[in-house]
Amino acid sequence: MSSLPALRWRSMPTDAIAWREWDGEFVVRNERTGSTHLLGPLAGSVLQILLEGNGALSIADISAALGDHPAATAAPDRCAAIDAVLSEFKRLGLAEPDPR
Amino acid sequence: MIVADLSPQELLRRLGGAGLRLRTGPVLNRIQSRLPKIAHGVALHYADHAVEDSAGFADFHVRVAPPRSLRRWMNPQVHFQFDGARPFLPLPADQAFPILEWGLNWCVSSHCHQYLIVHAASVEKSGLALLLPGPPGSGKSTLCAGLVSRGWRLLSDELTLLDLGTGRVVPLPRPVSLKNASIDAIRRFSPGAVLSPPVHDTVKGSVAHMKPPTESVHRATETARPRWIVLPRYECGAAPRLAPLSRARAFMHLADHAFNYDVHGRRGFELLAQVVAGSDCFDFQYGALEDTIAVFDDAARRV
Repeated sequence: MSSLPALRWRSMPTDAIAWREWDGEFVVRNERTGSTHLLGPLAGSVLQILLEGNGALSIADISAALGDHPAATAAPDRCAAIDAVLSEFKRLGLAEPDPR
Repeated sequence: MIVADLSPQELLRRLGGAGLRLRTGPVLNRIQSRLPKIAHGVALHYADHAVEDSAGFADFHVRVAPPRSLRRWMNPQVHFQFDGARPFLPLPADQAFPILEWGLNWCVSSHCHQYLIVHAASVEKSGLALLLPGPPGSGKSTLCAGLVSRGWRLLSDELTLLDLGTGRVVPLPRPVSLKNASIDAIRRFSPGAVLSPPVHDTVKGSVAHMKPPTESVHRATETARPRWIVLPRYECGAAPRLAPLSRARAFMHLADHAFNYDVHGRRGFELLAQVVAGSDCFDFQYGALEDTIAVFDDAARRV
């Protein structure tokens, strides 16, 4: 299910997520679920932005933060691609829509 | 004292009595069995391993014995026992030594949580470890046997133990398990290798074990730093081909093939990240050992 563009997103607390990046690919451990995931360049960069963000971010905020990141510019519809990543993060428990 | 120091009668007496206290790497096993196949297998494959005399602590108390039923006489079977319990179904009696080996693997993978344990073969050269993780049938044991036949040190054929503090590989040099076509492949490749007669019709097909090289057993306390992670894939007739693998994918592969990654939580994640960060990672396809060893010798020389 697609998220609404107006939603704002936040990652799990930084101490609930461990991650490493090598050559644009990411491995992420979610301390709350005990699961480890492999993330591609776009998903990894979105997670980094959420983790480093000060408060909840909209898709537009994330898109702006990505700037001319190659993973973002490669996507034909950048907002749709970010939206899909966020939906997957919600499923994996890595991020959630901000209730406020 | 090592197993080879014991006369056949003394070996039988210990196995049939209070137990043979056999050291395999960091593990002390107390093995009991009255079965001649176990005595022959231990004498052949563990000749260089240390035997401890005292009646002190042992990590694992195991026994291989026939069931107390008519199966003792009709289509005889054997059980593997651990602390008196039987964790597996019995197997035909001619599989006595393989069931001991599989049982000892199970003891380590199920209990030695002071290590992060990866389902991987590992070998060493110049202090650096080559890890070969992979599922059964990937060709990791064949490659491992080939490498140790050409001067690499055996760290482990089946269970790579990673020290949680240092990230180094702790050796567990035990017999290399060869299956089906790889048995003859190793016989051809290394005529001097000591192999047990094959046991047929096991759940894994035909199985034979290769004795670990003496030097590998003698150096069982020397840990090694992981330097290469190679995912082997045997393909009949294929030329050897080493293709770069991303570290993130190598990480996921190690985590998927670890027995106790989840047990260690964040610590396991950090340890695997450390191992992967310090390693070159590859997919490796091969079809014959003859051209293969040079690929790894070259990699070791370049470091």
